[in-house]
Parts: sequence; C-alpha cells; structure tokens
Amino acid sequence: MSIILDGTNGITSVTGAASLCTAGPAFSAYASSGTSLTGSSSTKILFQTTVFDTNSNYSSSRFTPTVAGYYQINCGFQAASSVDNQLYIYKNGSVFYQGQESTTAGSSLSSLVYCNGSTDYIEIYAYVGTTGTCATGATKTWFNGCLMRSA
Amino acid sequence: MALYEQITAIYPSLTQSDFHPNTGTIFLQNDSDGKGDYIKSWTNNNPQPTEAQLQATGK
Repeated sequence: MSIILDGTNGITSVTGAASLCTAGPAFSAYASSGTSLTGSSSTKILFQTTVFDTNSNYSSSRFTPTVAGYYQINCGFQAASSVDNQLYIYKNGSVFYQGQESTTAGSSLSSLVYCNGSTDYIEIYAYVGTTGTCATGATKTWFNGCLMRSA
Repeated sequence: MALYEQITAIYPSLTQSDFHPNTGTIFLQNDSDGKGDYIKSWTNNNPQPTEAQLQATGK
C-alpha cells in the first residue's frame, strides 16, 4: 500500500488499499425499548433502533457482515440502577470478549473481531446480578461497529 | 419465576457467585427470543436439575 501526500492538498493518492476501508460495512443502533435483564443470567441486549447500516448487515440486534475482515465492535449499556454487571461481545453465539466487571449502573466494551463475511455474526450480552431493565436511548445503550481492515 | 430461583430452591447452598460468569460453575443465558432463561453450561458438583425438578419447585 502506498499513500501519496501532497504538501498543498494532503492525501492525493492511495493505492493497494487493503486497509483503507472507505466503503466497508458500518452500522450503529441503540435500545429504544429496555431489555429485561434477569438477575444472575446473561441476556442478549436488544438494540431496536438503527441509526445507520451502510451495507444492510444489521438485523434483530445482530451484526452479520457480508465483507470479510477485522471489525471494530463497540457497545455500552446502562442499567436502571447500580448493579453488578458485565458486558460481553458474542461471536456466533458464544462469549468472544468480556468487559470489566462493574458495580456501577453500566459499562462499555470495545474490541476487534474478525468476521468471515458470510456466517460469522456478532451480538451483545450483559450479565447482571440483580433483575432490572436496560436504560433506553442512543446515548445510553448502544451497539456499533465498522470494518477496519479487509481480510 | 426466574430460573436462578428455581435452581437455588433445589440447592439452597448455592450463592450468586456460583452463577457469576467469572467465578461460577453455572451459566444461565437468555437470548431475548421470548423463550426465557436456560442453562447454557453446568459444571457444578451438584447434578444438573431436570426440567421436572425445576417445575416441581413451584417457582
């Protein structure tokens, strides 16, 4: 890959753009209705409202990218009150990354995840120690991601 | 009634830490698909309760 920098115009040329994903999938969603979280259980968080979904890869609170590569996945949630909680990135139905355990009213988690562009999918789960409901709103309980580097 | 409460009714000695993903041996999960909580994995020394045992708790 090479990038040509011009002293006047900045970047003027990019070739071999294996890591420049100008058209890669990106999505963002948030919870507009609170997911019920059962105490002592890990529950899939529902993010019902889509802010954007550039490649139509987000559905039913699941991201299934159709382009193979390395995806930056970000998520955060707030509980209705301070509870023992932990956030998880699930890949294909199993824990892939877990966040720091928190005893405040929420937490967030980010990581890179490789997806094969066909069958791999990403979901977000949360463990809570006490039964409650996720807070709603784009700034409180959210899930987003984008392709950082193609395969 | 929550699955957690059914299980702890059968095994009163279990505590919340037994169900914690980091420290526990019983992992409960809910896929938010309307089917409720289920036992994702069980490595506790007590035998995994049957559906009949869970229902018999009346919880």
